[in-house]
Amino acid sequence: MSPAGPHPQGPPADALLQDAEEDGDLEAEEAGRDARAWEREYADERSWEMLQEDDAGLLRALDVTAQQRERRRRHLAAPAARIRRGMIRYLVLVVDLSRAAAEVDFHPSRMAVVAALVEVFIREFFDQNPLSHLGIIALRAGVAQRLTELSGSPQSHITALKASLGADGEASLQNGLDLARAALAPIPAYGHREVVVVSSALTTCDPGDIHAAIAACKKHRIRCSVVGLAAEVYICATLARLTGGTYTIATSEGHLRDLLLEHAPPPPALQQDAPASLIRMGFPQRQPDGAASICACHADLRLDGAYVCPRCKARVCELPTECHVCSITLMSSPHLARSYHHLFPVPPYDEWQASSSSAALPATCFACQAGLPGVAGGATGVRLVCPRCARHFCFDCDAIVHESLHNCPGCECRPAAPDDPPG
Amino acid sequence: MKFNLEGLTVYFPYEYLYPEQYSYMLEVKRALDAKGHGLLEMPTGTGKTITLLSLITSYQLAHPDMGKLIYCTRTVHEMEKVLEELRKLQAYQEKELGKQAQILALGLSSRKNLCIHPTISGEGSRENVDAGCRKLTATWVRSAAAENPDIELCDFFEGYEKKGADALLPAGVYTLHDMKVFGRQKGWCPYFLARHMITFANVVIYNYQYMLDPKVAGVISRELEKECVVVFDEAHNIDNVCIEALSVNLRQQTLDGAQRNLTKLGQVVEKFKATDADRLRAEYNRLVEGLAQRGTLPQNDQMLANPALPDDILREAVPGNIRRAEHFLAFLKRFVQYLKRRMGAQQVESEGPLSFLDDLNNSAGIDAKTLKFCYDRLHSLMLTLEITDTEEFHHLTLVCDFGTLVGTYTQGFAIIIEPFDERMPHISDPVMQLSCLDSSLAIKPVFERFQSVIITSGTLSPIELYPRLLNFNPVTIQSFAMSLTRDCLCPMVLSRGSDQLPVSTKFDMRSDPGVVRNYGRLLVEMAQAVPDGIVCFFVSYSYMDAIINSWNEMGILKEIMQHKLVFIETQDVVETTLALDNYRRACDCGRGAVFFSVARGKVAEGIDFDRHYGRLVIMYGVPFQYTLSRILRARLEYLRDTFQIKENDFLTFDAIRQAAQCVGRVIRSKSDYGMMIFADKRYQRHDKRSKLPNWILSQLKDSHMNLSTDMALHIAREYLRRMAQPFDSLSVDTGTLLNEAALQRPQPMEVG
Ligand code: SF4
Repeated sequence: MSPAGPHPQGPPADALLQDAEEDGDLEAEEAGRDARAWEREYADERSWEMLQEDDAGLLRALDVTAQQRERRRRHLAAPAARIRRGMIRYLVLVVDLSRAAAEVDFHPSRMAVVAALVEVFIREFFDQNPLSHLGIIALRAGVAQRLTELSGSPQSHITALKASLGADGEASLQNGLDLARAALAPIPAYGHREVVVVSSALTTCDPGDIHAAIAACKKHRIRCSVVGLAAEVYICATLARLTGGTYTIATSEGHLRDLLLEHAPPPPALQQDAPASLIRMGFPQRQPDGAASICACHADLRLDGAYVCPRCKARVCELPTECHVCSITLMSSPHLARSYHHLFPVPPYDEWQASSSSAALPATCFACQAGLPGVAGGATGVRLVCPRCARHFCFDCDAIVHESLHNCPGCECRPAAPDDPPG
Repeated sequence: MKFNLEGLTVYFPYEYLYPEQYSYMLEVKRALDAKGHGLLEMPTGTGKTITLLSLITSYQLAHPDMGKLIYCTRTVHEMEKVLEELRKLQAYQEKELGKQAQILALGLSSRKNLCIHPTISGEGSRENVDAGCRKLTATWVRSAAAENPDIELCDFFEGYEKKGADALLPAGVYTLHDMKVFGRQKGWCPYFLARHMITFANVVIYNYQYMLDPKVAGVISRELEKECVVVFDEAHNIDNVCIEALSVNLRQQTLDGAQRNLTKLGQVVEKFKATDADRLRAEYNRLVEGLAQRGTLPQNDQMLANPALPDDILREAVPGNIRRAEHFLAFLKRFVQYLKRRMGAQQVESEGPLSFLDDLNNSAGIDAKTLKFCYDRLHSLMLTLEITDTEEFHHLTLVCDFGTLVGTYTQGFAIIIEPFDERMPHISDPVMQLSCLDSSLAIKPVFERFQSVIITSGTLSPIELYPRLLNFNPVTIQSFAMSLTRDCLCPMVLSRGSDQLPVSTKFDMRSDPGVVRNYGRLLVEMAQAVPDGIVCFFVSYSYMDAIINSWNEMGILKEIMQHKLVFIETQDVVETTLALDNYRRACDCGRGAVFFSVARGKVAEGIDFDRHYGRLVIMYGVPFQYTLSRILRARLEYLRDTFQIKENDFLTFDAIRQAAQCVGRVIRSKSDYGMMIFADKRYQRHDKRSKLPNWILSQLKDSHMNLSTDMALHIAREYLRRMAQPFDSLSVDTGTLLNEAALQRPQPMEVG
């Protein structure tokens, strides 16, 4: 052993050194540097140069190309080919309401931000997946608490979550997974089982072996994804990796929103995950308004009309849902239709490259007629081309087409070739 | 891929090459071309090992007259890793070149790791296995067994011996495990086979000791040819290894044990006199003719060689007064007696070998020349007396080590007698230390003997000091930075707490409750913001104990434990291993944990905290050595007088390299990421900071210096979010990776 055993009584090595390191010395050195650290950060980044005054005297960001590319990456990641997707999803949303959720690095607090964005997510989820079901579990004070059962009504989930905000104690991922698994296990085989965890905590306090819980999820073919708010946690990464989910970390509120909404479109389904099968469905009729009825879901008297189950004539007040009496899946035909676009997505637009033939570039976006980049005097940013109809679009229209419209305006305006897929 | 490096075709087993690997190869090649030594620093995680291996083996292919590659590692674990890399490289080279690229590479370790004898291998400690093996394989045991079949022998050794020189390993790369498997298959002893095969191998990988410790090197590395290339990997502590190789500590128990050994030897000699006097006479005659001929001993009879360096051993006859066994024993008795008397000193005594010898001569009548032969004489006696249980005579061997070293060296050593441990002045625990002060002594023969010696590590800064410490002239000295696709390490210097008061472990500040609290708050805040594992290094065990105690009283420990479990390194190896194990488990299952450890401890030296096992490392204070230690004092003085290295320079150098070593634990590859906090205001000073290795310094932004706790916390949060974003590790275009095509086109490569 080297004779290094340092010592409580004697002065340590540094006491022997000619001691020049007084605080004054330190400050002198600091003053010698030309600028404070915070100043330098601005100086280095030169953020003002990112702005530019346009003809109208408005300030504009100089170049948004990089930014836009970054945002487009999300669409590009989605596979364009026609793939099988899990259309009937059963998703358990696990919301972490442990002590860490009270932190204020997101404003006003992580919890408030999460609650607001979860609301957006739930609406978007049902919008995109009308045939699906969702339930919420809260992690708080070391236990997992079931806020809502798996069901199809967005409003009831949102109210339940809002009613029980309040952060406390530790989060237990294992408890959350176990509870979610209990809810998802009896789901029929055609249903696509998913867990999405919105996690603030960087630690999980579990009563048992979390690896066993993860293995059980894997066994039950539950796809677990995690959206983190702070930093990468090994166990979450493992969970996502083993169960085929994704693990993403939000850097800001906007990013968190994007990451959550990534879970709204149905994920690709694997053959063995959900074998193809025929499902019996009912398309209930709506009772005229004013006729009093007792709805089966809330056991409530309702006057504003309800849907009547075609098989057992029970009343339900919301669609889509499962009949509470005969458990047939009830929905309306528009729901079915809306799920359709996932199967025939609009192909992602390509970014137009300056090198490709520059003959007669359209100066404006085909959809919105806004000026496009790439021509003299045009805006900055990216210019996008539809690979099918070869029309040019701006960045904003690209987002709308792929996120909400699910139809390419260019392709729709052109006489359809006989072999063209619909959509 | 394969590419051309200044006229040398280099075979590299991967598709891509980092630019720093390229420059590294260039430097190594220049050193080899110039037949000189090299000193190279390149951070861990940049594939240093594979770079070295691939360049040197390619060089061997191009220059068949070049000797072996001798790769020295610190631990068996590292040895296995190197062999794994080599195996990959070998497979690639063979694919490219066919049979002619075949090489023989093997790892050599002690019997403990190589023995396959069913009972002996389970003996436990290294000494026990060695002794157990000797009992079964010594020449006289074997010749006795020839007459008496009841005497047990080792079948594996017999199997190996029967084959004689035909026992050969086919070409290939052998880890220790492979050697054992092969040995079992053939019924040959892997240990002796490996020793035998060194002569034929192209690449030999073994421990530092085999090269540096004269006791071992004399046996193992004696026959290596001059053209060999010697590589010392992870060599940042090489000076300490050199010093330890030539230092001996004697305690009260050692001397008592030596006395018992002497009595026992006396009895054996008497017995022999009665039964086999010829044997003793033969030995006497041999000694008259010259030194016991160690060189001609069969391998299985070799124990350890002389502790002094080969060049310093006089090739002359053993002096007359110790040629007879009983005279020699009487001589040793006097010597032990004298040592015992010196050990009884009430005060700390410190002197050089010359005055020690003088006193020895005056009071016990023992002169330096006789003392010098102590070790060889004992060795010869033990062989004559057919003693196989060397472990039993361990104490006496140590005393003879001491004697030989004192007798041989008059320079660069100090003898320090301390009657008690300074921590516990009332308990008498005398110790006599013969301490080598000059690290260049042990490594000198290596530099002289071998054509190229490459010393390399992740942390060799400040690199200029090493040539002076080791007293050699490298033809190339270079420190490489790491090319990064993202900022995968984030060093910060924290100089004050949230209350803006400076923090430091300086002696006058370290026990200040304000500093202790600020240090504690830092950890609490970080425990909240950093996921999984955090490692904290303290400057010493006593400081760690004190600060953890205070944290406990202040309730800080409890707060930490709300977020993470706490584990502590202790001086007990088993306890520490257990703690580490549980620490890893806590990180694996998401609970998160903090590990408290000590700079210069076992953990700081050998345990990796990569990936989630260490997202943050906090270095509390500057880990200076304890300067009141007599040995350090003596060494500092010696360095100042002999090499003109100022005390201050050496201490700072040593402290900073330890700190760099500690924080370097968290990052072991480029795809990993981790933060490092240097929590002491003294790191703010240029003279300290500038001694940090290049790869840390280049990442240390100005805005990350002189931070307070809240600023550091903010940076940490941002950093962790940024690092958690998906990234693309292959970026050939940005110039952080080179592929074959990029290397084909001529391009200026800047170095450093
Ligand atoms: S000869 Fe080899 S196998 Fe036999 S005891 Fe010795 S080391 Fe073990």
